[in-house]
Amino acid sequence: MSIVDTEDKVSPVTETTSKKTNSIEQVRYGCAIGAMQSVAAIPRAIPITHCGPGCSDKQFMNLAFYNGFQGGGYGGGAVAPSTNASEREVVFGGAQRLSDLIESGLEILEADLFVVLTGCIPDLVGDDVGSVVTPFQKQGVPIAFAETGGFKGNNFTGHELVTRAIIDQYVGDYVGPKTKGLVNVWSLLPYHNTFWRGDLTEIKRTLEGAGFKVNILFGPESEGVSEWKAIPQAEFNIVLGPWLGLATARHLEQKYGQRFLHVPVLPIGAHETTSFLRTVADFAGLKTKSSRKKLESFIQDEETRYYKYLEDFTDFYAEYWWGLPAKFAVIGDSAYNLALTKFLVNQLGLIPGRQIITDNPPDEFRDEIRSYYRAIAEDVSTEVEFEEDSYAIHQILRQTDFGHKPPVIFGTTWERDLAKELKGAIVEVGFPTSYEVVLSRSYIGYRGALTLLEKIYTTTVSASA
Amino acid sequence: MGKKTAKQIAIYGKGGIGKSTTTSNISAALVEAGYKVMQFGCDPKADSTNTLRGGEYIPSVLDLLRENARVDAHDAVFQGFKGVYCVEAGGPQPGVGCAGRGIITAVELLKQQNIFEELDLDYVIYDVLGDVVCGGFAVPVREGIAEHVFTISSADFMAIYAANNLFRGIKTYSSKGGALLGGVIANSINSDFHRHIVDDFVERTQTQVVEYIPRSLTVTQAELQGKTTIEAAPNSEQAAIYRRLANKIADHTESKVPSPLDAKELREWSSSWADQLIEIERKTQYVAVDA
Repeated sequence: MSIVDTEDKVSPVTETTSKKTNSIEQVRYGCAIGAMQSVAAIPRAIPITHCGPGCSDKQFMNLAFYNGFQGGGYGGGAVAPSTNASEREVVFGGAQRLSDLIESGLEILEADLFVVLTGCIPDLVGDDVGSVVTPFQKQGVPIAFAETGGFKGNNFTGHELVTRAIIDQYVGDYVGPKTKGLVNVWSLLPYHNTFWRGDLTEIKRTLEGAGFKVNILFGPESEGVSEWKAIPQAEFNIVLGPWLGLATARHLEQKYGQRFLHVPVLPIGAHETTSFLRTVADFAGLKTKSSRKKLESFIQDEETRYYKYLEDFTDFYAEYWWGLPAKFAVIGDSAYNLALTKFLVNQLGLIPGRQIITDNPPDEFRDEIRSYYRAIAEDVSTEVEFEEDSYAIHQILRQTDFGHKPPVIFGTTWERDLAKELKGAIVEVGFPTSYEVVLSRSYIGYRGALTLLEKIYTTTVSASA
Repeated sequence: MGKKTAKQIAIYGKGGIGKSTTTSNISAALVEAGYKVMQFGCDPKADSTNTLRGGEYIPSVLDLLRENARVDAHDAVFQGFKGVYCVEAGGPQPGVGCAGRGIITAVELLKQQNIFEELDLDYVIYDVLGDVVCGGFAVPVREGIAEHVFTISSADFMAIYAANNLFRGIKTYSSKGGALLGGVIANSINSDFHRHIVDDFVERTQTQVVEYIPRSLTVTQAELQGKTTIEAAPNSEQAAIYRRLANKIADHTESKVPSPLDAKELREWSSSWADQLIEIERKTQYVAVDA
């Protein structure tokens, strides 16, 4: 039997707030063409956007600027060329303009890979982008294209479309040996997840520590296109997160006959990270004494350091209990939402007050995501909601019973005013994070968990000053 | 005295049904009667006004827009038979871009530059491509463009489907200030049977037939000369029919919201007529055998 069954303590959401509205207030994701920043996340890759004026600027400013002030990268943001399609391209089609843009782009931009992303205009009027890009590919230009019109879905969808386009059109077919111990990692959505750079770095560091060679594919620790070219050589794929990347892994399974391991919970803290590394090692079939030894000695080393700090932290945590929140809410993308909930419940003993997933995961994944929350700890079960409209989200939070102490809210900039209203603390952990400057910070793994603890308790303890 | 407003009329019909032929003859008859008339072709083929100009093609609004960022709308207006004004919206190459948006762009360009007022027109007649496939082709039906819509249909079922689709478009816009339906111009009606089919359709959709136009070789001959029947054979019986039609359209003041058939009704309606058609054919065959 559950010791804590939060279902009893969470007040029911009324009909009026749970009813779908026909509008979205304060958005929590971008358009499919926002995946231009996924291209920008690959070192020395440049997106080329074929869309109306303002589309790519808006995506970049939202995802990469007012979200941790990450910057556009080598080829994203203000660097990315765009056709700026106007009425002329609507009426007569924009294929020629795109072709001209690619040609002139190639003259002045240096990149290892270009990816053309289309917006609503060319997708609606039916521009044959393939016939524009294919001749360049035949000339040996490293270029791919993805149709990412806004009606295809949000930037998560766009990310999968872009990933697949690069694999199919740039990486291509492969017949050859697999490299023992080489893995591809499909995890957080670059730029959208404010801490993706630090987090992917930590994932790579821990997997390497455990003895693997890692194609991390995006971010500062990626080697760029050479890693992408090496995708087919990997022994298997790791999908780290509740759902994003599964479509890619399934595609790779068919295309290159690669197995994949799905780990839904992004590891935060020693307990989860160690368990993650051992799961990967088991999946890889690491059996030799030396490989197991390398893994276990890395784990031991990391855990020693981690628990030393945690021991120091316990003085504060035990003494200051009266001033710290007991209940929390998480409002954010499924990957971070699930990971944080797991960490906060299991490692800090906090009580889940409300979990709201905002990235609109495809329907087929939702039941499984719900099941993760229902088994969040051996003795804790909680419910998760899916909602994208901030008005509805805030109404739900207002109606939540957080007990006699104000809650700590893990959310976004959109929750700042609400946190004040509830007299709670706010830790911004997702898009948009407009009041944090984020560079290499990570909240996951062994090291990131300590940073997260610092962040949570600096926020809560400083609120009293 | 206030400036007069041109009466704007849109004529729709399935491709190849005789839409441009009929529209051009209406324009010719009206201009012959002393009115100032503009015929506005809304078809990417840009050949609506050919017979008003001796078979000559004119550059379309979109041809000009393709070449230049800014276009003087006057450059898209040409004069033809007895001074009739001819404009072609034009469109992209087949299979590329958005022809519907092209029509919107072309109509807006002339409106923005106040061409209709400047030319002091009595009639603007839009000749619009077949089916209402998307928003662009519904432009003349929408608020502030045409007031009256006529559709040309033969007794052919596909033509009637297109007419019914147009009725659905009109109904959609009717509550938003859009144009209403004047009636059906029944074309290529050479037998009572054809007439009965069209009559039955207009009765069910609560509209009317404005005129029955028979298929005629005079029309073909005129077209081959690059002329309207009004110009090439002014004293023919067919020219008289076109003049009568033009007068009716000129005098027409009250249009209505039609009651289009839904998909199931349309299917049932056409199959009931198909049964009758088969029956008639069978009887004709028996006669042939008996003889």
